[in-house]
Amino acid sequence: MKPKLDIVFSGVGGQGVVVLSDIFCEAAMIEDFNVAKAEIHGMAQRGGSIVAYARIGTKVEAPLIETGKADAIVGFEVLETTRALPMLKENGTVIVNMKLIPPNGLTANVKLKNTEELLELLRTKALVHQVDGPGIAQKLGNTLVVNTILLGALSALPEIPLKAESFQQAIANRLKEKYINLNLKAFQLGRESVQNNQR
Amino acid sequence: MTSKISVNKPDSYALLNGDEAVARGAVEANIKVAAAYPGTPSTEILETLAEATKDLGIYAEWSINEIVAAEVAIGASMTGVRALTSMKHVGLNVASDAIMTLAYTGIEGGLVIVVCDDPALHSSQNEQDTRYFAVHAKLPLLDAGNPQEALDMARRAYEISEKLRLPIILRLTTRVAHGKARVKLGEFQKLARKAEFDKNIPRWVMVPANASRQHRVLESRLLEAKYEAETSQFNIIEDNNTKIGIIGSGVGYYYARSLVDTTKVSWLKLGFVHPFPSEMVKTFAKKVKKLIVLEELRPYIEENLARLKIDFIGKTELGLEEIGEFTPDKIRTALSKLHLTTTPESPQQLNLTPRPPGLCPGCTHRALYYALNMLHKSVHCETTKCVGCGTCEYACSHNKEKVHNPAKSRIRVVRQNQIQNIAISCQICQNPACIIACPKEALSQSPLTGIIIVDKKQCNGCGWCIEACPYGAINMHPTTRKPMVCDVCGGNPRCVKLCPEGALSLRGKSNDKIVAGDIGCYSLGALPPIKALQTCLCMGGGISQAAGMIHAGTKDKVFAVIGDSTFFHGGMPGLLNIAYNKANVCVIVMDNSIVAMTGHQPTPGSGKTAMGQDAKIINIEAIVRALGIEKVFTVDPYDLKTTMQTLKKATNHEGPSVVIAKRPCPLLTPHGTPRKIKDNCKGCRVCTEAFGCPAISQNGNKVKIDTALCNGCGVCDKVCPFNAIGEIDRETQT
Repeated sequence: MKPKLDIVFSGVGGQGVVVLSDIFCEAAMIEDFNVAKAEIHGMAQRGGSIVAYARIGTKVEAPLIETGKADAIVGFEVLETTRALPMLKENGTVIVNMKLIPPNGLTANVKLKNTEELLELLRTKALVHQVDGPGIAQKLGNTLVVNTILLGALSALPEIPLKAESFQQAIANRLKEKYINLNLKAFQLGRESVQNNQR
Repeated sequence: MTSKISVNKPDSYALLNGDEAVARGAVEANIKVAAAYPGTPSTEILETLAEATKDLGIYAEWSINEIVAAEVAIGASMTGVRALTSMKHVGLNVASDAIMTLAYTGIEGGLVIVVCDDPALHSSQNEQDTRYFAVHAKLPLLDAGNPQEALDMARRAYEISEKLRLPIILRLTTRVAHGKARVKLGEFQKLARKAEFDKNIPRWVMVPANASRQHRVLESRLLEAKYEAETSQFNIIEDNNTKIGIIGSGVGYYYARSLVDTTKVSWLKLGFVHPFPSEMVKTFAKKVKKLIVLEELRPYIEENLARLKIDFIGKTELGLEEIGEFTPDKIRTALSKLHLTTTPESPQQLNLTPRPPGLCPGCTHRALYYALNMLHKSVHCETTKCVGCGTCEYACSHNKEKVHNPAKSRIRVVRQNQIQNIAISCQICQNPACIIACPKEALSQSPLTGIIIVDKKQCNGCGWCIEACPYGAINMHPTTRKPMVCDVCGGNPRCVKLCPEGALSLRGKSNDKIVAGDIGCYSLGALPPIKALQTCLCMGGGISQAAGMIHAGTKDKVFAVIGDSTFFHGGMPGLLNIAYNKANVCVIVMDNSIVAMTGHQPTPGSGKTAMGQDAKIINIEAIVRALGIEKVFTVDPYDLKTTMQTLKKATNHEGPSVVIAKRPCPLLTPHGTPRKIKDNCKGCRVCTEAFGCPAISQNGNKVKIDTALCNGCGVCDKVCPFNAIGEIDRETQT
């Protein structure tokens, strides 16, 4: 029997939420897990809320995760991470990319919660790992690798039953050759950011 | 790179979504021709097949609409090769004319019509249930519940199709089409078929005598189809010798299986749902005391059970609706009523600011909508609502001068008689009297917006303009002694927002305009803050809706906006119709030369085919002229000034006119230099609330631009009334 794991990936259209959840599932398939995932395409090329669910286990019957049953959330943006919070089980884990993108069409009288208020909400229910995706990506000289950094962070969680090598292989299988090395570096830095946090 | 479905590795696994799985199943069945029109959630079927064409010798095309695609696939099937057409549920309505009669002629080579329904309307305009179309058309239907079934059904459907000599409808729903799973692949079948058409006139020519005979043929084929359904591998009984049985189809069945101890109930999964396998269902029903039905959307299985006089527990008893999609939460709640699951906990309520979908930064449609919205805008006051409270005067003076002083307001409340009040501000005249009256040539009118601009250096404060204004809408500033004229706050007037009676609105010159919309990214222009269009019905519907309003006698100026692909799909007949029947509609074709919303599939204006070959670009302007429209303009929507002037010209023209706003989708073109907010920003929020770019957001009293989101289109430079937006310094990135 393989462990069952339900992960929610949440972010804003254009951040690479769907691709990342794919790579996670492909890593699980390398280790012979069964997988099912759900995602919504269309209607939000850029800028709308995007959620993908990834479920792995010996047998996975359906793609959607029940509210309050997800083991972890990988959040690409602070507000969207918080929006996914009802999906998380009590004392689940949250990986949150430290970036806040204000929603479209905000009018002056809407009071938006700030990053600290949102993090406070997350901490009421979850163990929160803050990942400075934009900062690490800038060090690597490419802002597009934030999602791979988050995958690295996810891979370092103790509840993830998959080997780092499986993730690395899944990344290599998925990406064009010229981007592989950069993304493997991003993966490693993301992984270390959580490992350091746990020490 | 070879496509993910083109390697013949039977019994290996791949991570595929339902659409990709259908494509793989069709490839395993050795199809020769595939044709489709993009539509969420069906798009990836043809996209995946088109990628595989190089490796497998399949012909795949994006057709201009669903009926054309269906006819292409039908033609291929008539020559004996296997073919596929795929569409979203509403696309099936477009294709239905061909398919209804195709049921009579039947097929030669196997033909599968893949239809993706969208329960919960993730990206659609209705929630129709294709199972009922199968009943209506008298065609067999397979209903897939996960990607593995989608693959297996697609492959098997070709065998069933050729056995019955009927096309098979394969139905997916969004959660199947866009759900991915580990899918076991099958083996490539090798068929050595040559395209040969048998000129069997009584079979293919559906004149009444032939069609009547073929209808009888269809009825006998349906009887055979019923036998197929009764013995289908996709209708599976799992008999656990229990009192409770669950019968389900689609993804809802699998939600139930993941929530309930599967050994505690007996299961019947229906995959071949039309014709209804009544004998099988009767057998199952006899074995259990309680029969539960789980099916999304309409109660198709329930109605069949009622017809067979079988008792069941259905949507009504379970509290499940015909509206929306199933979720594990809904199924848990439903089954907890029968104590099959525990009751769900009530979910956390967080009350977060929503993030609705919107047009992307740099979107060409936003620029066009801004131009359209700003056409002859002025603040309009409804005298029946105005109570003369003067709130507008305070709002204006505070917004413009940061003081609450009605003497410094650009809008003035006037008591007309004992019971009537009106708030007066600049009415954006054509050929304004104030300009004519000015002896110093200090006044001018913005060609973009019609707003009166006062050159404070030229002005000597004589006040002649105040005298000249027929509305009494110009006032003298009490301290600077220069005239004050309303500039509608760049399209975001504070007085309109704060009017407690809702008497003020931002309107066009004499009448408000009507903008009929259509289907595509640009439908999002109906959402705040843009709010530029007022209808969205069906592909190509906007032009003819607009025409109907004109013929009904509306006094408003009527526009119709339509995208380039929608124009090719369903807009051309409507345009020909208004050209010939003379409807005074201004049609705006928003040509970004791609189907953007479904993920950038080529249109006849793109110059590439689905298979990546070069193609002759079809010129929309030439089509528009050929359809009989004489007033045709082509503009670049980023050029706000010309766009507004052109829209004005088109508006002034009596009779149909077309404005083609042409610029490629910004997601496919290189970015410009990102913008920044300069120090002279006054915080008027025109850029966020009238223009509505998502890269610009509030920052205290002012605004800021997220350079990572900004694509450097530069349209906001022209939108800002204070010239407070400019390029960042590339060197320092500030």
